[in-house]
Amino acid sequence: MNPKIIYPIPEMQSTFYRNLRNIARISFIAAALICFLINFLVKGKMWSLIVAWSLFSVWRLVFSLRLVEFSIYSHAIKVTFYVVILLILIDHFLAPGWAETVIPIILFADLLVMFVLFFALYEKKDRHLVSIMLLGILNLVSIPYSIHSWPIRNWIAFSFQIASLALFIVMIIVNRKDLIYELKARFQVNTK
Amino acid sequence: MRKDQRDLHLEKLKGGLSEKDSGLIDGFFKKLRGQIDLPFISKNLLTDHFIKGFEYYIEEGTEVEKICELLDLKYLGSFYDEVHRESYTLDNAAIVYPLGMKYGQMPMFRLSAELKEEVEPVLLQLALDFTIKRFPTFSAVIKNGFFWHYLESSNTLALCEEEKDIPCKPISIILRSYRSLRVLYYKRRISVEFFHVLTDGSGGMVFLKTLLAEYLRLKGKTVAIEDGVLDVNEEVKDEELVNEFKNAKGDSSFSTFVDKKSLQVDGKLSKSNISRIIHFEMDADKLNSLAKSYGGTLTAYIASLLFMAAKSCIRKKEGLFNIQIPVNMRKFNGSKTLRNYSMYFNASMDISKIEDLKTLVPNIDAQIKEKGSEKMMNQMMMTTGKLINSLSFVPLFLKVPIMQSVYGYLGNSIIGCTLSNLGRISLPQGMKEEVEKISFVMAPGRPNRVTSTLASVNGKCVLTIIRCSNDPSFEKAIYELLMKDGIECEVEGSVEYES
Repeated sequence: MNPKIIYPIPEMQSTFYRNLRNIARISFIAAALICFLINFLVKGKMWSLIVAWSLFSVWRLVFSLRLVEFSIYSHAIKVTFYVVILLILIDHFLAPGWAETVIPIILFADLLVMFVLFFALYEKKDRHLVSIMLLGILNLVSIPYSIHSWPIRNWIAFSFQIASLALFIVMIIVNRKDLIYELKARFQVNTK
Repeated sequence: MRKDQRDLHLEKLKGGLSEKDSGLIDGFFKKLRGQIDLPFISKNLLTDHFIKGFEYYIEEGTEVEKICELLDLKYLGSFYDEVHRESYTLDNAAIVYPLGMKYGQMPMFRLSAELKEEVEPVLLQLALDFTIKRFPTFSAVIKNGFFWHYLESSNTLALCEEEKDIPCKPISIILRSYRSLRVLYYKRRISVEFFHVLTDGSGGMVFLKTLLAEYLRLKGKTVAIEDGVLDVNEEVKDEELVNEFKNAKGDSSFSTFVDKKSLQVDGKLSKSNISRIIHFEMDADKLNSLAKSYGGTLTAYIASLLFMAAKSCIRKKEGLFNIQIPVNMRKFNGSKTLRNYSMYFNASMDISKIEDLKTLVPNIDAQIKEKGSEKMMNQMMMTTGKLINSLSFVPLFLKVPIMQSVYGYLGNSIIGCTLSNLGRISLPQGMKEEVEKISFVMAPGRPNRVTSTLASVNGKCVLTIIRCSNDPSFEKAIYELLMKDGIECEVEGSVEYES
């Protein structure tokens, strides 16, 4: 059997990313395990948990990108989520007392950047309203916490939360039609 | 093309033409610019397609009036002049594909038509620009919902490319502008590669035929709008977009879904989707009569050949080998849907009981008749529906890891090979004379080492073996079996992509 070749001979495929991903996976797992072991042996604060979460975040944000619909908005909310968890871990296990002020600032800054990007890229129709809404909701979730400790402390956090709420409301008003469409599309279920 | 180059090309086009013809060209491009509302780059690209089209025709000596008629802007419709935001739920077969997808692994298939003349890329691109609007789900992009993936309409420009890579290479669908299909050309061959989420072989064939018809129209040939060719200027019909799985009737039985693990053909899995493609081109009538003489259909005969070949390529002497055979459900109710509407069943044989074709063909034929019956297929559709319903309200971020781990058990590890038969493809008048053959390539799903397809057109039957391992013995065994049965075949294929 000697087939006639009717397909083009492809160029050499680059295996760089695939190899890099494999190396990263093995070294990240090894590094996390070594850190847990050392932390267990030397005792003290749970710093290994922070290392492990950081490695996991890098893996998820750099080497394990989503295969469907990667957008700047969805990635930004993913980054925010991992960073916020990291800050909570650092605050809880290493140096307590600042996360409740810093996190609302980060969430507000993120929402503001999203807000600006959203209108800058408006013409490109590359909208991902639900991600922005999720970010807004994440902001709102932290408001009851501030109200709970009212009026003893954290004016800074509260101010940023109110600003986020204002941005969120503006976003809803401006994009209400698109938002309704997108919510319908994204929450549809395939039932018989 | 840069703006100055574009202007230069336009001026060059008009050079040597009469004032009337220059006016016609000016009017054409003015109307074109008014009819497209795309982002800057896409707008220019689409304009370039028309400039190149005019250049091609003028070089061929076609009259400007005739060119304007061939490239009439009615063929673009309103597709590029407004944003149509419409979402489509995935059909019940498609729903599983993006869930089970992993890096470098994507269920893809390719339909190719080999023409009698070299493909003219300029005209193919224009044909694609005109055709894509007729297939709104094919021009859509995949998006993440909260519970399921879904398709959203898109009017971004689809580009045809010269074939340079391994067939059925996964398509990047992460960005909004990335569609789930690609149109390729190579010498005399036009190919369309689909992510299975869009359609099945029959739906894909309608797209390929319509694209071919449009291409041939631009070549000045007349092709009848029949035999699966759609009129590109016609309104999209609801029946073409329907999810027929929702209309299934009957009982459900989970046993139709699960099967025992299948043996796999020997050989180390390749890193890429495909390591070699081999086409066996044979006389369809001769093959049909041979199948009949064994007491079975063509599908039963080819499936039997696959069982025989598998036996010789598996070291284990005992165990079940399953061949998955898709069934086109349209044959039962004449549905016109362009979405996925195929179900499948497994033809099974204990490898130790495979002896010769005389006993094997009737056995497989009986299995096809029983397991591939309308009742059984409806039962399977109902089961699929129930399974999907039970998962409906599970968020996608939980569903993806669950489905990725379950997919292997419900999917590929229970089969050793697939035999997908597109059947006898009828071509309309005007196309029949221009098409030499049609082939069908489908990437095997892991851990399967081989998969096979069958397509017949113009009296030629093409059996394709697609392998993703380093062991060539399967296709050699098939060739020897065909030779032994007195079937002459022309063998074509690719180089070894991975040695």
